[in-house]
Amino acid sequence: MGVAILVEDVHFSYEGVPALRGVSLTIRTGEVLAIMGENGAGKTTLVKHFVGLLKPERGRVLVFGIDTRDASVAQLARRVGLVFQNPDHQLFAESVEGEVLFTLRNMGYPSDKARAICDSILKLFELDRYKNRSPYSLSIGERKRLAIAAVVSYNPDVLVLDEPTAGQDFFNKSKISKLIFKLKMQGKGVVIVTHDVEFAAQVADRVVLMAEGRVIREGGAKDVLTDAEALRRARLMLPQIPATAAILEAEGVSLPSKPLLPGTLYLELLELLDHRWSEYE
Amino acid sequence: MSKVLDIFRFRRKRTLLHELDPRAKFAMLVALSAASLALSDGVSLAALLVVEVVLLAVAKSLREWARSLTGLSTLLILIFALNYLTLPTDRLFTATAMTLRFLCLTTAFSIFFLTTTADELAAALEASGVPREYSMMFTMSLRFVPSLARDMQTVTDALRSRGLELEKGSLSERLRNYTYLLVPLIVFELKRSLMVAEALEARGFGAVKKVEPYIELTFKGKDYVVVITSFLALLAVAWVILSGTYSTFVAWLRGVFPKV
Amino acid sequence: MTLVELRHVRFRYAGSDSYALNDVSLSAERGEFILLVGPSGCGKSTLLRVLNGLVPHFYEGEFEGEAKVAGLNVRSTPTHVLARHVGMVFQDPENQLFLSSVEREIAFGLENLGLSRLEVRRRVREVLKEFNLESIKEKAPYELSGGQQQKVAIASVMALEPEILALDEPTANLDPLSALEVLTLVNRLVREKGVLAFVVEHRLELALRFATRMIVMLNGRVAADGGPREVLLKAGKVVGYPPVMLAHVLLKRKGLVGDGVPLTCEELAEEVIAKWALRYS
Repeated sequence: MGVAILVEDVHFSYEGVPALRGVSLTIRTGEVLAIMGENGAGKTTLVKHFVGLLKPERGRVLVFGIDTRDASVAQLARRVGLVFQNPDHQLFAESVEGEVLFTLRNMGYPSDKARAICDSILKLFELDRYKNRSPYSLSIGERKRLAIAAVVSYNPDVLVLDEPTAGQDFFNKSKISKLIFKLKMQGKGVVIVTHDVEFAAQVADRVVLMAEGRVIREGGAKDVLTDAEALRRARLMLPQIPATAAILEAEGVSLPSKPLLPGTLYLELLELLDHRWSEYE
Repeated sequence: MSKVLDIFRFRRKRTLLHELDPRAKFAMLVALSAASLALSDGVSLAALLVVEVVLLAVAKSLREWARSLTGLSTLLILIFALNYLTLPTDRLFTATAMTLRFLCLTTAFSIFFLTTTADELAAALEASGVPREYSMMFTMSLRFVPSLARDMQTVTDALRSRGLELEKGSLSERLRNYTYLLVPLIVFELKRSLMVAEALEARGFGAVKKVEPYIELTFKGKDYVVVITSFLALLAVAWVILSGTYSTFVAWLRGVFPKV
Repeated sequence: MTLVELRHVRFRYAGSDSYALNDVSLSAERGEFILLVGPSGCGKSTLLRVLNGLVPHFYEGEFEGEAKVAGLNVRSTPTHVLARHVGMVFQDPENQLFLSSVEREIAFGLENLGLSRLEVRRRVREVLKEFNLESIKEKAPYELSGGQQQKVAIASVMALEPEILALDEPTANLDPLSALEVLTLVNRLVREKGVLAFVVEHRLELALRFATRMIVMLNGRVAADGGPREVLLKAGKVVGYPPVMLAHVLLKRKGLVGDGVPLTCEELAEEVIAKWALRYS
């Protein structure tokens, strides 16, 4: 697990309106980071800095040691893959297969290698049966998977997903979370920009809360997503399990530590009620 | 690119120009455009530009206009260069004039669009007898210009993040790269128009042929003043040209600046 | 009174091989908050569009079966007539707010119906008051937050005083707090005015607390239809269980909670406390 991206006191404005007011954070490989906050907090602006689409007015962004102001977007994109929120903004080819090949070609892969990677990637994302179809004939969930597949295909070290679960059904959300785990196991860094607290609770290792262009809280997922006050300031809601724990707390049922997921709540309650699960029938 | 489109975007302000009836402003636009096209020397056009800048100042929109100049500058330089390099005589004279003319025209239009909302425009069109579907079509296109600009930016960002270097390569390579923008953009905007159409249907659009518009456009004193002034200005320009006064003036100018 | 009556409705979009709606029968009455869920492509959006006649008038295809909305036959009634009975709110605020001020937006639908200017002005004043929009009545839609935009969209369709409100993923682009505000507004309309609301939503954790009924669709058919609790128990695998339900399932296995099916944090907390009578002050 090493440092992939260093954001150092970045300031940025759009036409005089400040969007980022001194943001600093670290992105590591082998870790899933969730950047969260309401719409307009600056999350998308921030991640655009990771591939150099935007350059900071003050401060700097280092991607694997390279200052983004000294490199082109294409160079940075080789190491940091960015998947935008709406798949329809990023499907450029005539066929599903062509989409992946287009990306691989741009990233400098020779044709034969590109073809092999394309086949295995499409299989992995369960899109191989649509190989020759137009990307626009796919359902919204499939188009989203295709956009992600195209970016994953060239094996960037960090993958950034902007609102991966917005408008997605349960089936696709599960697929995406499985993919994120897989990438993490492979040692990649994954950044998800989201306001879906439940999804973040499931997949994130660390969480950064943003509001009005600043980072207002940062830490382990378990600590941040159970911090009602910080979430409120970021205009987010507590996920269901910490919210339940908060209600129980208010009613006098104090759990030993703050649970984030159903399994943890279950174990905490067991402990509280002094039933060691191995002794129970 | 989006900077250029900025001068056509409405900004809410409380100024004389913002409060004028859109039809009066349209009359003003016609007069200013006619003058821009009729005049062909740098001095008169510069004077016209000054008039327009004064109008922009009244509309408190100088900053938006100035900002867009940076975007327009490439076009302005192009026009100047093309004229200067290709004309056999009177190069500087004509080049300056053409560039100023272009600037006057775009500024005239931006005065109109910066101070008129899309649906004021629709109301003006309908009040002038244009059927509702057509006026809606026109104002919808305007209304979605900033959305289009934003989408263009997003698609460009997405392309660049896939490793396509849009700034590098030969002219033909760069042109080809930009064509990759087209498909997602066209599909996206087509989908958008479908969604807008659905929403229009859901709001009962087309239920009744003749509709009483919510915005009541009534001509006030200042609107009459503007229309009459514009009309007079138009007459003045026409007279100056047709009577030969203008060509005399241009000849005199040329005499003053012979080398130009 | 039965406001919606669908009997054996089948619909195939022109040029498509499969049926988007494959024998759908259901009926609905005033004052119901119906949560309509299912994987993408299951037909829920098509179903909504049958309610206001976009299917089959706007979207051509083969339509079979009977569809009656507010006593009107959908097949033979033009969409602008149905628009007075069914208000439809779409996912993307940008594509359903056309005009340059909130006030104009609310007037738009009324104008379209050919009402006199005086009448339109009166109704607009009422709507602005009812939906608390007077303070922003001169603002342009793009100046508003996503949540406010959706509220304006709802107010704009409610100005036509429909008995039915159809919302197609209204919170997909909103952050959780705004999403909750929008759904709360819909709920208020259902409870206070007896509006029949069909809400297509993926974010169950937010919408379940309001739903009086839940319909799950799969491959163009109704897979489950009933109270949210029974439906979730039956079809949870397809649409995903909210975290509190997952926690409940675990706790129930050890006999730590009763048989209720919690849909919200409050309900789960109550279950835990009730079973063990741990109410200490």
